Amino acid sequence: MIELKNVTKSYEINKNNIVVALNDVSMKIGEGELVVLRGASGSGKSSVLSLIAALSKPTTGEVIVDTKQISKLPDNFASEYRRDNIGFVFQKYNLITTLSVKENILLPLVPLNPDPDDADEKLTRVMEMFKISHKKDAIIKNLSGGEQQRVAIARANVNEPKIIIADEPTANLDEKLSLHFIEMLKELKKLNKTIVIATHDPLFFGLDIVDREIEMHNGAII
Amino acid sequence: MRKKINFYLIEYAINAILRQKYKNIFIATTLTFLIFLLTSIFFITNSIKYELNSTVDALPEIVVQKIKAGRHYDIETHATEEILAITGVVDAVARVWGYYYFENAGVNFSLVGVDEFEAQYKESLQRVVETSELMNTQDSSMVVGRGVKDTMQKNYYKDYFNFIKPDGTLKRVDLVGVFDGDTQLESNDIIVMSKADVREIFDMRESMATDIVVKVSNPDEVATIASKIKLVFPDSRIITKNDLKISYQNIFDYKSGIFLALFVVSLFTFFIIIYDKASGLSSEEKREIGILKAIGWRVDDVLKEKFYEGFIISFFSYMIGVILAVGFVYIFQAPLLQNIFTGYSQLKTSFELPFIFDVQTLFLVFFLSVPIYIAATIIPSWKISTLDADEVIR
Amino acid sequence: MILTPEVLAIFILNTIFAFFGIIAFYLSVKIYLNWDLSSTSKAQYRLEKQSYLAATIIKFIFIIKVPLFLFFVFTLDKISNVLTGAMCGAGVVDATDTGTALFVLKIINLYIFAYWIALHNEDVKHEKQPFLKQKFAFFIIAFFLFMAELVIEGVMFGSIEIDKMVSCCGTLYSSTSTSAISSIFALDTSLLLYMFYGIFLLIVVFYFLKNKYLFAISNALFVPISLITLIVFFGTYIYELPSHHCPFCFLQSDYYFVGYLIYTLLFLGTFYGLVVGFVESKKEDKLKSYKMSLIFNSLYVILLTSFVMIYFIRNGVWL
Repeated sequence: MIELKNVTKSYEINKNNIVVALNDVSMKIGEGELVVLRGASGSGKSSVLSLIAALSKPTTGEVIVDTKQISKLPDNFASEYRRDNIGFVFQKYNLITTLSVKENILLPLVPLNPDPDDADEKLTRVMEMFKISHKKDAIIKNLSGGEQQRVAIARANVNEPKIIIADEPTANLDEKLSLHFIEMLKELKKLNKTIVIATHDPLFFGLDIVDREIEMHNGAII
Repeated sequence: MRKKINFYLIEYAINAILRQKYKNIFIATTLTFLIFLLTSIFFITNSIKYELNSTVDALPEIVVQKIKAGRHYDIETHATEEILAITGVVDAVARVWGYYYFENAGVNFSLVGVDEFEAQYKESLQRVVETSELMNTQDSSMVVGRGVKDTMQKNYYKDYFNFIKPDGTLKRVDLVGVFDGDTQLESNDIIVMSKADVREIFDMRESMATDIVVKVSNPDEVATIASKIKLVFPDSRIITKNDLKISYQNIFDYKSGIFLALFVVSLFTFFIIIYDKASGLSSEEKREIGILKAIGWRVDDVLKEKFYEGFIISFFSYMIGVILAVGFVYIFQAPLLQNIFTGYSQLKTSFELPFIFDVQTLFLVFFLSVPIYIAATIIPSWKISTLDADEVIR
Repeated sequence: MILTPEVLAIFILNTIFAFFGIIAFYLSVKIYLNWDLSSTSKAQYRLEKQSYLAATIIKFIFIIKVPLFLFFVFTLDKISNVLTGAMCGAGVVDATDTGTALFVLKIINLYIFAYWIALHNEDVKHEKQPFLKQKFAFFIIAFFLFMAELVIEGVMFGSIEIDKMVSCCGTLYSSTSTSAISSIFALDTSLLLYMFYGIFLLIVVFYFLKNKYLFAISNALFVPISLITLIVFFGTYIYELPSHHCPFCFLQSDYYFVGYLIYTLLFLGTFYGLVVGFVESKKEDKLKSYKMSLIFNSLYVILLTSFVMIYFIRNGVWL
């Protein structure tokens, strides 16, 4: 379902300084698989996620998702693809702290001008799934870390995407909350979502819900 | 092309505006102030124009003046007979009037001469002749406007006034009444006395007059009659009511044009400020846009949202500015600003600005504010919308 | 030189339009010359971003242009009060050599900008943006017409002299005058009417046949024939005066501003008709354009015909 073909990604910091984040990487991820990308920071895991989400374009190579070449999509179409297919859970959650839970979760749908009933239905569904309904109108900055994480996951799922991407989801959480997160992943796996997680948290290693682990180091797969 | 209005986006835009509270309050306040100033000026000129046009309406259709060497001269009184002979002319009256410069106060009085048995060309003068003591006394007497009375009083003249004649001698005229004209603008600096007295003060011969006013039966024929008069008196200048109206409109357009020019300058400055403010993004703002794009907002969506913001701010400022202007001009009678337009002489009137509702003015102010504000935000909004989400999230 | 606040406002906005128009022009040229969708270079990436700016500018100009055109007409009306002889906007347009040309150019530019936006909207629906080079090339040409309009507008307002006598619409739009417009009165009125209703019938026929090119062409022909018959025939029924042919007077309050409705319907109807022929789009969008065109054109025809009918019903005779 997701395929990277000979992907190289480099950043030009200035004329003399080029950082190579990914070096000729190829990988395949099947539908419904839960794949963990292991590796220290700087190994290129975040770049892979970024490419799958069409948040960045590869310097060379192709990224194909569901038979569609997403690596060369124009900006508008890349966003549309992201909106319809990807649910991204960021390391720092990236919620808008002055808005409420409800408003944050609905944010991906705003430009679509959805039918209010439709939007409500989607909202209720994800809030219940991730057990955050009771805090519907609370402002983000007043929530605990764990609650914020649940909002982040709910937002990532509001548009029923096929692919869930999580970048170091448990980096800022204690063990208890980390285990909570894994529970939520189990729910998502049941729905046959394709899940890709970049992490160096040992809690994920050897987990039964993980189908595969891909180890990365210095921009290449080991 | 007919999509439903996206209330979600509007709500988000409003929230975004409130999130940058101080910056936006600054912008909104400045914009509101500019709009307020501009609208007030337009309202004032509209009202004064209206007053003036009403004044002009009360004036005679045609005024005939004699011109010698390009300058205004006294005209022969008997010219009225020849003018009366022209078809369509109902009445022709010789007027005797002039400006008297009162040195001590540094002001001009308008002296208007009336004769008891003549039909006056203006209602207010007719009233003066009928109701005042002017014609009843043997001595020279006058009826004055309020502003004149106050000025005279300030210079210690209570019941009479000494006019200085051209030969240096004094002429004493008794004050027998105070009057209000049809509109306040005109009556303030007027002194009404007998024609003989005015002639004496200005050293004008009995057979001469200042000008001749002509009344016509059909207003549409004014231009024709004016040209006929010109044929009879080639050395005359004919001023029609329409000419006056046009010149008033031009004067006002000229004056408001000056203000508009000033406004343009301030607008330009404002444009630069807006551009600068809008371009200067806090890292917080950048992060927010990055988040939006990361969760699936397209460039077009972010652009649309930015324009909603711009439109909301500018339109809101427009409404508040206009409402404040209405209050300032029509309820508080525009202190300070009013003087810029009405003050020619010291005898300033305090008259009430009539409420004129002119849709075109509202559109004019709208075009001078909202599109310009939005234009200033085009490039900054575009820069924001095309930020790379990837770089921002890391 | 006439410098009322309204004219000054138009000048200010025109300056802004010119400034942004030039930016859009510069970007259009760059994009036209260098655009390569398959390239992954930084330059191409920058171009993609800049194409958004160009599109936004053009949309902005159009959105303001439409109400500004109405404001322009309002302004002409207001100026007519100070110009001797002019009783409505027609006199002001006639006051200078450039007036009529400006008016025609403005209307053409409205069509052009609207067309660009329709083309752009269709273009961004496709990943490969098939019309991209085409639309920017089109704008490059449109830019010159646009700048011409701005310049001529400045010249026109600058050359209005308030003490020069101008003709009122009564003399302009009569068969005896020598202006270019009077030549249309030489034509036989019934022939013109046959052509008017005939072309409208063609539009209806091609609607059902769904022949896009013929549909668009008949719409294009509909514009001049509508304007001519409006001046020669229909206008007189709006004014209920056989000699009053002015196409401006019914924009005034005396006639309840019906002129704005008339021209809006005509513009929308014919514009959608042109879109059908000149903008490639999906079936459902095309059908929508077909429908819009038919609806607005029909409303236009019905509105004008009703003026005639109402007069006849009320008075029992034709003018």
